[in-house]
Amino acid sequence: MSHAADDRSNKVRRYLKSTIKFLASLKLAVIVIASIACVIAVGTFVEAKYDATAARKIVYESFWMYGVMGILAINLTAVMVDRWPWKARHTPFVLAHIGILILMFGAIITQKFGLDGSMYVKIGQSAQFVTVPETDILVYSSFDGDRYTKLAEMNVDFFKHPPTPEKPIVIPAYGGEIKFVEYKRYVLPSRKVVPPPDTNGRWGAGLRFQVQNANIKVNVIEWIVQRRPGYLESFNFGPAAMHLGPAPAVGRGANEIYFTPNAKDGVDYVVFQKDSEQPAKKGSLKEGDAFNPGWKMPIEVRVLRYLPQAKEEWDLQDRETPTPLTTSATKVIFNGQEQWILLGDTIKFFTNEAVYLVGYTNRKIDLGFPLQLKEFAIDRYQGVRKAMEYKSVVSVPNMDSHLISMNEPLKYNGLTFYQASFDEDPNTGQPVASVLSVNQDPGRWIKYLGSLIISLGIIMLFYFKQKTKKDKSS
Amino acid sequence: MRRLQVILVLLLSLLVYKGAFAAAGDQLRYLPVQNAGRIKPYDSFAKEMLEIVYGKSTFEGRAAPEIIFTWMLSPTAWEDKKIFEVRNHEVLKALQLPVDQRYFSGKEIFSNEHFQMVLQELQAKRESKEKLTPYFQALQRLENQLVIFREIAAGNMLQLIPPQEGTAWLSVAQFQGGQQQAFSDMTKAFVDHIGGIAQGVPASQQEQTAKALDEAVLKFREMAKANNPELYNNDTKVNLEVFYNNFHPFRWAYILYMLASVTILVVWTMNKPGLMKLGWVFAGCGFALHTFGFVIRMYLMDRAPVTNMYETVVWMSWGAVVFSAILEIIYKYRFIFFAGTLGGMVALIVADSAPAVLDPTLQPLEAVLRSNYWLTVHVMTITISYAAFFLAFVLGDIGLVYYIKGEEKNQDKIKAIANSVYRAMQIGVAFLAPGIILGGIWADYSWGRFWGWDPKETWALIALLGYLAVLHGRLGGWFRNFGMIAAGVVTFSLVIMAWYGVNFVLGAGLHSYGFGAGGVEYVAAFVAAHFLLVIYASLVRKKSTELVR
Repeated sequence: MSHAADDRSNKVRRYLKSTIKFLASLKLAVIVIASIACVIAVGTFVEAKYDATAARKIVYESFWMYGVMGILAINLTAVMVDRWPWKARHTPFVLAHIGILILMFGAIITQKFGLDGSMYVKIGQSAQFVTVPETDILVYSSFDGDRYTKLAEMNVDFFKHPPTPEKPIVIPAYGGEIKFVEYKRYVLPSRKVVPPPDTNGRWGAGLRFQVQNANIKVNVIEWIVQRRPGYLESFNFGPAAMHLGPAPAVGRGANEIYFTPNAKDGVDYVVFQKDSEQPAKKGSLKEGDAFNPGWKMPIEVRVLRYLPQAKEEWDLQDRETPTPLTTSATKVIFNGQEQWILLGDTIKFFTNEAVYLVGYTNRKIDLGFPLQLKEFAIDRYQGVRKAMEYKSVVSVPNMDSHLISMNEPLKYNGLTFYQASFDEDPNTGQPVASVLSVNQDPGRWIKYLGSLIISLGIIMLFYFKQKTKKDKSS
Repeated sequence: MRRLQVILVLLLSLLVYKGAFAAAGDQLRYLPVQNAGRIKPYDSFAKEMLEIVYGKSTFEGRAAPEIIFTWMLSPTAWEDKKIFEVRNHEVLKALQLPVDQRYFSGKEIFSNEHFQMVLQELQAKRESKEKLTPYFQALQRLENQLVIFREIAAGNMLQLIPPQEGTAWLSVAQFQGGQQQAFSDMTKAFVDHIGGIAQGVPASQQEQTAKALDEAVLKFREMAKANNPELYNNDTKVNLEVFYNNFHPFRWAYILYMLASVTILVVWTMNKPGLMKLGWVFAGCGFALHTFGFVIRMYLMDRAPVTNMYETVVWMSWGAVVFSAILEIIYKYRFIFFAGTLGGMVALIVADSAPAVLDPTLQPLEAVLRSNYWLTVHVMTITISYAAFFLAFVLGDIGLVYYIKGEEKNQDKIKAIANSVYRAMQIGVAFLAPGIILGGIWADYSWGRFWGWDPKETWALIALLGYLAVLHGRLGGWFRNFGMIAAGVVTFSLVIMAWYGVNFVLGAGLHSYGFGAGGVEYVAAFVAAHFLLVIYASLVRKKSTELVR
């Protein structure tokens, strides 16, 4: 009996030993190294065809990648256990391998607990939220159209796990179920404005105007759509602004036109002028009418289309690969009505009692303090548009002003703010906002430690080689 | 031997001397121009412009500075001249132009009924913000060629006088009063001189017109300087740049490397050790000029010259020579230094002969790359590791030749080569691994992420993993002599992908500042040819071992 048990434990030990031998083997090491190389090579091709997000989701954060990295970690650990007890000549080998393990551990910490987002701040304004790549769906409801309560907030990864008509994401609401039934990775959206399916008085008006001057240097055609009746919506294109909604009694001393819906299926307009608070001109218009506001620049304003009740919709064209103009979209069904929501957008559903707001957006994380962009400047190379340097002057609590430039970030409250990019007005070419990338990396020091140890190992490899050579020759 | 060294040093000094002094009529080349964000001599400006439009720096044997000036003086005379290089067949088909022709006149393109339509197509593609296919890239190039010709002809491109306010220099079209006068005096002197040469007037008269032109240019410079002396103080750099253009230090370097490699080959294969010293002298002089050219570029741009493909190829070949010299001193195998000088020569010749792919012009840096210590250290470390891998690659090629010539009789040489390949790979890994880590540190410092799976960094890592797999395989005994020699050749294709392929094949990612198109077919053929060589050598080897049995 005891003999049999001994035999069995011997067998187990032998089996264990051969397993460890295999896990610690050079053969496995070579296979794992080659596999990692192959997997990440595929990643670069995915990125070239699609984009960095797709490569991350399909390859770098895939089961295959984690699997092969896991085997690497086991291989590295096993080979060090196998060489135990270590001798002095093992130092470079142990350092290089432990360094890699530490580096990988740091990477996991960063991925789990780090923050990597971006922040869009307009010049002269403050912002407090960082946008991160993760996406959420949000549902709000309101009975009076003023006060909204949050019904649901859910973290979703539609890229990897898209909803389908068979497996929808369902959010219960009082008036019925809100169902997410479809997802498209890459669509090219174009906005369209249509009369709403129901005319229950909750839809605002929509106005399509054209601003043109004689020599066609200016030709702006745009829609303005009210979120709800009585609300003021604006479109600003540099030299002038157009508003749809109630007009104020006195102007702000700028070139502005207010269009106010009237009861006769048309709009009343009020023109304000630069350097004067008093209305310069008044009148009313119907679809197709045009008038000259009488500003210094000779322009004509035409009402191309007017809808007393208007609803915005997206016309979506499918694309196989992303471009800077494409976005992703998800289809929502509520009480038989279906609508597409673009990433970053919010749509409305009405019932007789309530209004529901449904959003699909990147998650925004509260910094806990405001960051104000005081100034933004672009230095250019002499005589050309090519940028030499972007600089943001920001202020945060307890720090009146700090310069963030390319390669010179701001460290504050455990966060680091980097100059990433900027946004400029398409009409004037002047910068209007700065884009900062915001980062918090608790794994940073671990990764640096790992890197240091790997480098030490490599240096010592050469040192020990020289030494063994000398020992041999003597 | 001593005498030979003296002669070589004298020869070098003569070369430098010849380049440093301007001939009569050459003052125009030294005229400072503001272009593409920096001040450069008119000589560089003209060469760059002609290369963009015509693809070469001379037209029908006439130098670029002359050609570009005449575009401006009499644009109509150029309407019928075939100065626009169009290589893309799709573009030629779209314009219904003959595909077997490479150069076209402005008339052929402008008056082409399809031209406007094709341009609109390009505009629509640009607005869609989709990646441009090679066809659209070629179209974009054609558009750029036409714009440059038109803008030079209109006098908008040539900016010669510093402004009293602001930073943009005044272009010829903006000149007023005295400026116009000085410029037209200069053009008159230019026309006299060129016209005289064209008519074949006697040399004494040519000398006179040349002098008159030089005087007119100097007068113009004085006038320009008077407009804003503070912005017109680039004489040293401008003069040095013309010298650099004339002198071609890298061309002399590869000629000397060629002499060195031939000498060492003789030493090694014909067993003439007495000549080895001569090989070292040739290589040393080549290396001195190589370094000299590198230092000039560094001084001209105030940065380490490793910011585009051309510059990294030059730097890499420099490293290959250094590493081979070090290994040669340690092992005294001779063929290591042969491989180093041969590799250095080939790389410099490639760099010199493909200006469309490897752009040799001096360009200001993108904003993210400016004034960053870590960037320089990281790029230089990674590309110097490529130098070691390149050395392993050339050594591998030599090894394959020995296998093809016969394994049996060359055993000792093959063993020595395999060992050298291994050493070179070790050096490469010792630089590449820290180089990648330094890249992580730089990315962390300036973008806030240590690693972002950017294709350039990912492929550098793939190359590292490839070499690590080989080194571990050697440790495990799967890679012996033939394995190491073949791996030296095959694994280098990963370096080619990381270095060239990411920019020219994948064309994506944050490292997009170095992107362009061209030469893919040649590089692919190069890689494929080496794979075939490895296969052939292994077949020869198999056959011979079978015969032995």
